[in-house]
Amino acid sequence: MKELTTLLDRIGQRANINLRDLDFDVLPQIKKLVPLDQMVKFYAFYGITPHHPLDFHFRHSSLAGSYFLGKCRVVNSILYKSDIRGDELKQEGDVFRYKDFEIPILMDEGIEIEDSFLIKTLVHNFSHDPKTLERFFIKDTVSAHYANIHGSPCDGCFLGPLATVDLTTMHDSIIGAFSYVQAGEIAHLNIGPGIVWIRSPGEFNFLYRHPLHKLDDYVSFSAGRTPQGFIVDFVEDRKESFQKIFDVVNIATSVPVPSSASLDRYAVIKPKTQIGENVLVAQRAYLQNASLGKGSNAQENCYIVNSRLAGNNVTAHGAKIIESEMEPNVFVGFNSFLRGRPDCRLTIGKDSIVLPHTIIDIRKPLAVPPEHFVWGLINNQADLASNSMAFSDFSKIDGELVQGGLVFEGQGARFVTAFRERINHILAANGAFFDGTANRGHAQRNQRISFNTIQPYPDGDQEGLYPTIVIQP
Amino acid sequence: MSYHSVKEIMVPLAEYATVPVGSNLLEAMIALEKVQEEFIHNKHRHRGIVIIDKEKGVIGKLGQMDVLRALEPKKDDDDEIESLGQFGFSAAFMRNRRKQKRLAATPIKDLCRTVSKLRVEDFMQTLSEGEIIDEEASLEVAIQQMVVGNHLLSLLVTRGQTIVGVLRMTDVFAAVFHAAKECVLPTA
Repeated sequence: MKELTTLLDRIGQRANINLRDLDFDVLPQIKKLVPLDQMVKFYAFYGITPHHPLDFHFRHSSLAGSYFLGKCRVVNSILYKSDIRGDELKQEGDVFRYKDFEIPILMDEGIEIEDSFLIKTLVHNFSHDPKTLERFFIKDTVSAHYANIHGSPCDGCFLGPLATVDLTTMHDSIIGAFSYVQAGEIAHLNIGPGIVWIRSPGEFNFLYRHPLHKLDDYVSFSAGRTPQGFIVDFVEDRKESFQKIFDVVNIATSVPVPSSASLDRYAVIKPKTQIGENVLVAQRAYLQNASLGKGSNAQENCYIVNSRLAGNNVTAHGAKIIESEMEPNVFVGFNSFLRGRPDCRLTIGKDSIVLPHTIIDIRKPLAVPPEHFVWGLINNQADLASNSMAFSDFSKIDGELVQGGLVFEGQGARFVTAFRERINHILAANGAFFDGTANRGHAQRNQRISFNTIQPYPDGDQEGLYPTIVIQP
Repeated sequence: MSYHSVKEIMVPLAEYATVPVGSNLLEAMIALEKVQEEFIHNKHRHRGIVIIDKEKGVIGKLGQMDVLRALEPKKDDDDEIESLGQFGFSAAFMRNRRKQKRLAATPIKDLCRTVSKLRVEDFMQTLSEGEIIDEEASLEVAIQQMVVGNHLLSLLVTRGQTIVGVLRMTDVFAAVFHAAKECVLPTA
């Protein structure tokens, strides 16, 4: 294990060099996050399909429990139970549109992870940076539990637990626990915990700050300790169910799955679950007494428990839906935590959008009206009043809005349109609109994936590290 | 008439408004008013208050700007608005936020209640090395120290380790002006 220990120190030092201006020390944050002896306990695995490039390159890295799909290169890194999902990468011959530019893609895009430590992190989508279209890089970066790196090249960064960086190139920056950033490009920023920041320069700027004294109950993180809080406990309590499905080679599907839908064999399916047509259930999703109507999806690290999704519902990476009713076309953003109770259910009205990193946790029944944005931390009707707004009202904003913990500047109509367009794109990419012949998406393309496993050195100086492995057609 | 040293133009500490640590802003303002009434020996009004500890040692100064700043919305609010800058909000947006916060803060008519609750030590400027000058120092050294120190409107004058007076910019300026007038204008 000597090499692995040295590698972890090296990664911490490299991140520290990048973050020195922010006076941030990564090493105490990561030292006890994952005991290194865990790195020999879990195999890594990769998917093979006829629809995605097969091009893996692993060197001097530990990959315990991690999953790879598409074109990925991992060098001098430690990945622990992370998903590197390259099924949306650009391919040779594609054309990338950026403002007035149309840029041809000259080679298949690849995810390149170097000198980084990712813990239970999801890497997905593709680089949106026109300066690096064929390389979706993650370099000198450390991410804690359940972080999302979504279409966001990162260089010299730290992401706290349940942090998300979305469609944003990030340099030398820190994203605090449970913060969400979608801002195009950032550098040398230290973004504290519980921030939800969505910015499109020249169009709109949305910033919400979770009340930290309340957020701490749900997620908290301090150096030398693993993440704490209700959300973390909720996930940890269901860890064993995943262990069982990772321990067996062949697993039978426990519920009927329509021919147009995809249920990943690494998802946990508990009794009374129903899968509709064009549904996508990704690996590490957890469904229990869940009904997913036509065109709905449950992405990585999603938990849907005792809930019903009426149809065309997007449950973005890491979202949890408990004891709730989702009417048609509801979007639940990254890492949102929606918890009703058996005797006081939560209902989200048709077409409404639960913005990323929203927490709704109620003790009395609560209904979000149709066509509303919802954000922030909501425990009751009064919170809902200050943390929601009808699309029609939001569209009227032209200038400024300050409401509760939200500050907004710009054109509300553009914000509404941008979200609606993106949700439509997500549904299309996931195959929600498949008609039997046209509009194939992940739900149809990911149906038949073969999985191969790879293992690390079991002992000696290299214990926990994987040998150099190149996998190509 | 020419001035040669700091002690010739400083205001002796005894003539300056002083209040003990623990005083509130209202008491400080009353002390200032009192010295303004008692020492109308030159045309420049006193504008600052010196804060002293139990041993009568000087530990800080409180200027008019410090008092006004104390009445502004809390620093936490300031920090919150300033932090919007890193998130790309426009200068106009931040100006407007400050204005809104100010309007929501204490109106002038309610100031009496506010100033009697605020302690001088929370808003005073503590002493820094650059604002101490020996009473025997020349006027030229004092000018240089004020200019280099940038925003220093006054210096504290020492005799040995003890602060014995305040050298105000307004008095230094007046001294320079008189000296310039003496050398340029013909004497009668």
